[in-house]
Amino acid sequence: MSPDLLFALGAMAVVTYLCRAAGYFAMGYVPLTPRIEAWLESIPIATLGAVLAPALANGGLPELAGFAVALVVMRQTGHDFLAAGCAVAVVAIGRALI
Amino acid sequence: MHQISFIWSGLRTGVVAGAPFTAGVLPYGIAFGVLAGQAGLDLQAATAMSVTVFSGSAQFVALQVWSDPIPLAALLFAAFAMNARYVLYGAMLRPHLAGLSPARAYGSLFFMNDANWALLVKQGGSGRWDGAFLFGSGLIIYLSWVIGTVLGGGFGRIIAAPETFGLDFLLIAFFVTLLVGLWRGRRDVAPLVTAVAAALAVDWLAGGSWGVLAGGLLGSLVGAFRPR
Repeated sequence: MSPDLLFALGAMAVVTYLCRAAGYFAMGYVPLTPRIEAWLESIPIATLGAVLAPALANGGLPELAGFAVALVVMRQTGHDFLAAGCAVAVVAIGRALI
Repeated sequence: MHQISFIWSGLRTGVVAGAPFTAGVLPYGIAFGVLAGQAGLDLQAATAMSVTVFSGSAQFVALQVWSDPIPLAALLFAAFAMNARYVLYGAMLRPHLAGLSPARAYGSLFFMNDANWALLVKQGGSGRWDGAFLFGSGLIIYLSWVIGTVLGGGFGRIIAAPETFGLDFLLIAFFVTLLVGLWRGRRDVAPLVTAVAAALAVDWLAGGSWGVLAGGLLGSLVGAFRPR
């Protein structure tokens, strides 16, 4: 592994561990404010939206169909692997047809 | 404050309680190993990431932004963004685990994840708090994540031309399932719309992984400052 790669992995590990430990540590001194709490709660949704949007915008019709299928199957069944599997199948079929 | 212990039986109870979750975590680990190979991480790097980071959603987002040269800012943002909820989890555990020595508390926190945090809160509801429970239940889930990564990384190399099978879309599909799972209703609309708009704009202007950073930050700030 290159030094850059090692550094990147190490830094990711440190940031992740700090997330796990920071709340526990901070609560020993000050309680979290509702605003910080609302911010922390909103980050995953916003980030996933930001990851998905460009990926879908750069995709074609099969990818959009796959997105819709993943969304609907997950909402209806709540089963993540089933939803992802259906979406992948739809994308594969769509690419074979177009 | 509760009486808190850190004993062998607590560790064992934790391992037993966490065991059912390995059935869900192992396939996720395998999927991560396969997709990491597609993203250009070798087996060593993928395994090292699972061993040291141990966060499925953050590692999946990392794969999505992975490129050459390594986009450090986006990787660190992914690690922070997908694990920010752990700050809240940890804060909630503080009153209950405060009796533990720092070494035991901060050591166990490395193994904290969605499943064993929920298990601990549930177990604590019945008045029994044992610090080793978090460690034990986290450890078994951690091991299945790492083993899954190695299996997926090993076998994944066999799959040629993954685009033909739509496998490159698996990562995107997982993000959709994560998003649906996290969705809390109307209060998430404004953060999501902001994030999508910002990500598209910045992606168009700057490209690379900056869209993820901009969208994640701006969207979450909208969530923090929305009127309640």
